[in-house]
Amino acid sequence: MTSTPLTVRICHLYPRLFSVAGDRGNLFTLMQRCAWRGIRTSVTEADTGVVPDFAESDLILIHGGQDREMTEAARDLTEKAGPLIDAIEEGAAVLAVCAGYQLLGRYYAPAAGPPLAGLGVLDVVSEGGQVRSIGHVAVECDLGTGGKHVLTGFENHSGRTYLGSSAEPLGRVIAGGGNNGEDGTEGARYKEVYATYLHGPVLPKNPWLADLLIARALERRYHDMGPLATLPDREEAQAQAAARRLARA
Amino acid sequence: MRLVASRRAAGSAGGPAPIPPPARARLALALAAGKAASTSSRVLRFGGGTSFPGRLARRIDPGLLRKVADASGARKVIVTGSNGKTTTCRMLATLAQAGGLKVAQNRSGSNLLQGVVSVAVREANLRGRMDAQMLLLEVDEATVRLVTPELAADALVITNIFRDQLDRFGELYTMAGGLAAVIESLPASATVVLNADDPLVASLAPEAAARRLYYGIRAAGTGTQVPEHAADTIRCVHCQSDLSYRAVYLSHLGDYSCPECGSARPRLDVAVTAIQPTPDAGPEIKIETPTGILPLQLPLAGMHNVYNAAAAIAAATALKLPRPQDPQHAERAMAGLRPAFGRMEQIQAGDRQVVLSFVKNPTAYNATLREVLRRPGGKHVLAAHSNTDIDGEDFSWLWDVDIEQLVPQLASLVISGTRAEEVALRFKYAGAHTEMMRVHPSRAAALDAALEGTPPGESLYILAGYTPMREFRGIMQRRGWVPPSWRE
Repeated sequence: MTSTPLTVRICHLYPRLFSVAGDRGNLFTLMQRCAWRGIRTSVTEADTGVVPDFAESDLILIHGGQDREMTEAARDLTEKAGPLIDAIEEGAAVLAVCAGYQLLGRYYAPAAGPPLAGLGVLDVVSEGGQVRSIGHVAVECDLGTGGKHVLTGFENHSGRTYLGSSAEPLGRVIAGGGNNGEDGTEGARYKEVYATYLHGPVLPKNPWLADLLIARALERRYHDMGPLATLPDREEAQAQAAARRLARA
Repeated sequence: MRLVASRRAAGSAGGPAPIPPPARARLALALAAGKAASTSSRVLRFGGGTSFPGRLARRIDPGLLRKVADASGARKVIVTGSNGKTTTCRMLATLAQAGGLKVAQNRSGSNLLQGVVSVAVREANLRGRMDAQMLLLEVDEATVRLVTPELAADALVITNIFRDQLDRFGELYTMAGGLAAVIESLPASATVVLNADDPLVASLAPEAAARRLYYGIRAAGTGTQVPEHAADTIRCVHCQSDLSYRAVYLSHLGDYSCPECGSARPRLDVAVTAIQPTPDAGPEIKIETPTGILPLQLPLAGMHNVYNAAAAIAAATALKLPRPQDPQHAERAMAGLRPAFGRMEQIQAGDRQVVLSFVKNPTAYNATLREVLRRPGGKHVLAAHSNTDIDGEDFSWLWDVDIEQLVPQLASLVISGTRAEEVALRFKYAGAHTEMMRVHPSRAAALDAALEGTPPGESLYILAGYTPMREFRGIMQRRGWVPPSWRE
């Protein structure tokens, strides 16, 4: 351990544009779980027209929004693409939710209007559908971190996402719709990018994923990190159990 | 088809239209059945019998609402929007009644189609005639498109569009599209009363035939420059640029303009021009109307109630209610208003006071929190949410509420409802100590525990979704602390 306090540098992309379903709870969760362990956090907010220093960002958040906001984010993302892709390739931890997830894929083709190009770091394509998937979801994830985890949350999306041959899902749907309601997959991952349709926010009820993101962010900055201190996650466990009951998983 | 057309033509010519005999028989049967159901469900305590009679009567005669509305000479007003419907209706009803009009309305927040039909069942005689001179309906923003085709409204009031239950309503813009279609369906003789301070509401259906009347706030020295976090529409509806605000009064409501395309808030027809807070009651305000300036002492605190008052005065202006411009008349009418049930309703619970608040979306919750935080002392809080058809399934919006501002003032905290775990997690991440939180899934046990944690003479603040709010109120009603809501 170093003697100077550890800091997780968080970059919150489009906090104003993508702020539709309590997703700032993800940021609160990361900050509190760091604070409870004596780890500092710094947060850089980057809306449209600003290209943050992604090289100094260890954990990047990009959340969901409505189609209109997504169009604008897609346009703006072309300005941020280069350094953002570099950071991802160099191991920055990323949580991408809903529209944020779709924008990290190859493209999103809305039901009406021209397709939006994505960053293409995830080998997935998304299209606007006629039917919204709305409801509680439970997903089984095996991220190779020793043991399986269950991810629970709420989905509310009309977009359908299909994984390409080189894409890995975030997990397998136990209950709910997931990526497209057809193939049983939910979300996608690449390097330290974790993308999901679960909004609302996803991290409070799934502290294992929050801690995974924090650990990866610290590793990127400080390299030889031991495991994170465990926290008494009683309320989190109860909320996850309740969410699993709601999802009937 | 021709019969219907000519009947409607007769109706629109002014006088009430006669109902042809076969239709009359069916209507009478439906009304009789609905009235019987209303009586028996009230006797059996099915929640005050507010929506079941409508459902039953409508099954017998699907055309009931249209027939009763067409046969009546009453002025028909619909109030819709995300927040403020109930209080706006209460204010408007008070103004109308003080002007001598008999008002029929759905008062208990029964604002889905069945609840609206129930008003017709209750108010009409078996011949389908109402003696009310105003039919005032609070209608759910997703239901209003079902109601307007059956009811030729003289005025449609749209209070605001906030994010509310996206799992039920879909995206904000979908909701706005639905409301725009409703406005477009109104005839030129109708008036649509719009909150000009809400960029999305102000821009609805600009080409529609109906007359537009805009209300809003133009009060120097009030408001901030930056929208709060939970604000929804903070971007230009025309060109998507960030709006710039000369003043933000509540969430995304304010005096806005677009620096890119130059669009701006419409000119106000009814404007609140001064807001002076008072320590105990609501603020003193001045409202400018086309017929003069109206000073009002509001009985209800909070900026949201300033908007509600402006909406009510604007609707009264649109309807040319008797003397809405007379200050004393309006002042007296408003002064008697108490909060609608569950809107920071003060309830004496033995030697403690309960302040019962219904919080259903980030804006309403934040507005309530601001009023709670204005009160002195530590806050004893009972927070509850349940997943129901009315309250929805998705409570992600709780993370957009500024619970962080409440936590430093918390003196005790009890959590309840079928989604108690979600609420507990929200308070935990807002910084509440887990040793302080007590979770009681049962509403009665939670209320008892929360009252026990509140010292005599102090207030317990209940912050709850619609269903648990009704449940808490029901418990307090059985204990004789509060009258039944349907008698309000």
